[in-house]
Amino acid sequence: MAAPDRFPLNLRRNFIYSVIVLFFGILFLFAYTPVDAGDKLQETEHYCLSCHNNPDLSVQLPDGETLSLYIPTEIIEHSIHSQQGIECEACHTQIKTYPHPEIEYKNSRELSRSYYLSCRKCHSANYEKTLDSMHAEAAEAGDMDAPVCTDCHGAHDVSSPDEPRSLISKTCGKCHDEIYEEYLGSIHGGMLVDEDNPDVPVCTDCHGVHNISDPGSELFHVQSPDLCASCHADAELMEKYGLSPNVYDLYELSWHGVDIAVFKAMWPTIHHESAVCTDCHGIHDMLASSDPDSRVNPDNLLNTCRKCHPDAGPNWTSAWTGHHEISLERTPYLYYVDRFYISFSRLILWLSAVYVALQIFRSIVNRVRRSTP
Amino acid sequence: MSADMNSERLKSPAVVQVERTFPRFTVGQRWEHWLLFLSVTALLLTGLPQKYRAAAWSLQILSTPSRVNLVRQIHHISAIVLLLVVVYHLARNLYLLLRKQLPASIFPNSQDFRNAWQMIKYLLFLSRDKPLYGKYNFEQKFTYWFLFLTIGVMGITGLVNWFPVQVTRILPGAVIPAARLAHSTEAIVIAIFVLIWHVYHVHIERLNLSIFTGRLGEDEMRKHHTLEYERLLEGNNISPPEEEAELDVQ
Repeated sequence: MAAPDRFPLNLRRNFIYSVIVLFFGILFLFAYTPVDAGDKLQETEHYCLSCHNNPDLSVQLPDGETLSLYIPTEIIEHSIHSQQGIECEACHTQIKTYPHPEIEYKNSRELSRSYYLSCRKCHSANYEKTLDSMHAEAAEAGDMDAPVCTDCHGAHDVSSPDEPRSLISKTCGKCHDEIYEEYLGSIHGGMLVDEDNPDVPVCTDCHGVHNISDPGSELFHVQSPDLCASCHADAELMEKYGLSPNVYDLYELSWHGVDIAVFKAMWPTIHHESAVCTDCHGIHDMLASSDPDSRVNPDNLLNTCRKCHPDAGPNWTSAWTGHHEISLERTPYLYYVDRFYISFSRLILWLSAVYVALQIFRSIVNRVRRSTP
Repeated sequence: MSADMNSERLKSPAVVQVERTFPRFTVGQRWEHWLLFLSVTALLLTGLPQKYRAAAWSLQILSTPSRVNLVRQIHHISAIVLLLVVVYHLARNLYLLLRKQLPASIFPNSQDFRNAWQMIKYLLFLSRDKPLYGKYNFEQKFTYWFLFLTIGVMGITGLVNWFPVQVTRILPGAVIPAARLAHSTEAIVIAIFVLIWHVYHVHIERLNLSIFTGRLGEDEMRKHHTLEYERLLEGNNISPPEEEAELDVQ
């Protein structure tokens, strides 16, 4: 006897139909998903712009400030959000009706800051990072000018932040104008602007992007040589520019470097006095050592040393071996001392070891001879 | 009762035979050795963690910035002690040498080279006899002069490292890293030398505590410093012990 059907015939047919319908349904969805983001309908956007494309549209805020409500069509159309099909209400969550609810913020800055949380809905990871940043700390301390997302990324004109790459540093320069000017004069900034060099660091390469930490802290100072090393110890990268990739390794062997390594390992947050890269080379204004304005140019080096060693005389600078290996040409004293000790320490070690070993052997032989008649 | 015991002993001198000892080091020299030993040990113990500062064991010792300062201070204080010992040693002995109150027995001479050659032949089984020595054998002279030069190098390079700014007022800056390398390497050389050479000769080959007691027993004098022993016997009219033992130089 045949086993009874587990599925009655009508149920099985229904199942097959549903699979077919589902298959075509999914196919349909794929086929009709607009491939080009420009094809987005942006119905709400058009609807909102029907009022907000009026240049005269503005509102008086409680603090007396006039807030323009004009959103130029060409700007919003070029924003990355609009192109991705993200509508106005994605960010303006509280505006659901017309007429809009009263604006409850006293001034435009307060209003901008409130939109900080709108970004969080989609960009939560980056939002979380900003909470640990120096900027968030400044805001907590009461500085309402401390930047939120829109200050760097823009609001209705939000676009890719690194096209071109120099835009990143330019963005930081909007507030940090003096440091930006210094940076533009440095070897890094100069190459970024002049030749759009992809290798030189922009602000965020050293300071971080969303979780920008306090660069004035002991921790940042003691860890900063690692930042420099991330490029300057890269042999391939340094070869492109004819630079030595050993500067970091040799620094680590130096008096300064050993001191810093110990502080980094043991007491990274305690004040230390040894020099890191930037203490001699400068921070935002660093130049090639061949540049006459460089702090480490031989003509300026003594003044740089005197920042920490105020009593140093003119001979002092030659005490610094300058990130170079021991060599006869550059460091003859060191070279001869090194050569001497390579031979001398071996000679003394072998001399004393062999002599004592022979003595031990001879005394053992004597003892054996004496005990055997 | 004790008087009885004493008279008993006097009747049998063979039982209470006491080995004669000879003066070898003055109280001053023994003090010098103590200070040298203690300061060099302190210098090594505080210097090595600084030399190997990035090593894990060193980080354990120098576990706080104030410990680093403490270790440096101990190093500097020990260095000053050693410096004072050296100054005292040089001043005193130069004065005595010039006044001809000190025999120049520590200075190397051609006999030492002959002795060393004889010793090598003995160690290589090319000769049955060890060389005969005076007050100081060539091994001891080598120890003295090697330490003498090493302390000189360590002292000079140490002061250069301690006062680099002042030193570069006069000398080129390049001496600083050179002095640092020399100080750091010489320390290891001397540590190894003392551990192998000196420790073997005064502790393992024979236990020679004369630098602490100031005196050396007659047997040892006769065996290891034969010429000096003979000179003392002649010069001071000291008679040799009644049983004239054969000199066993093996």
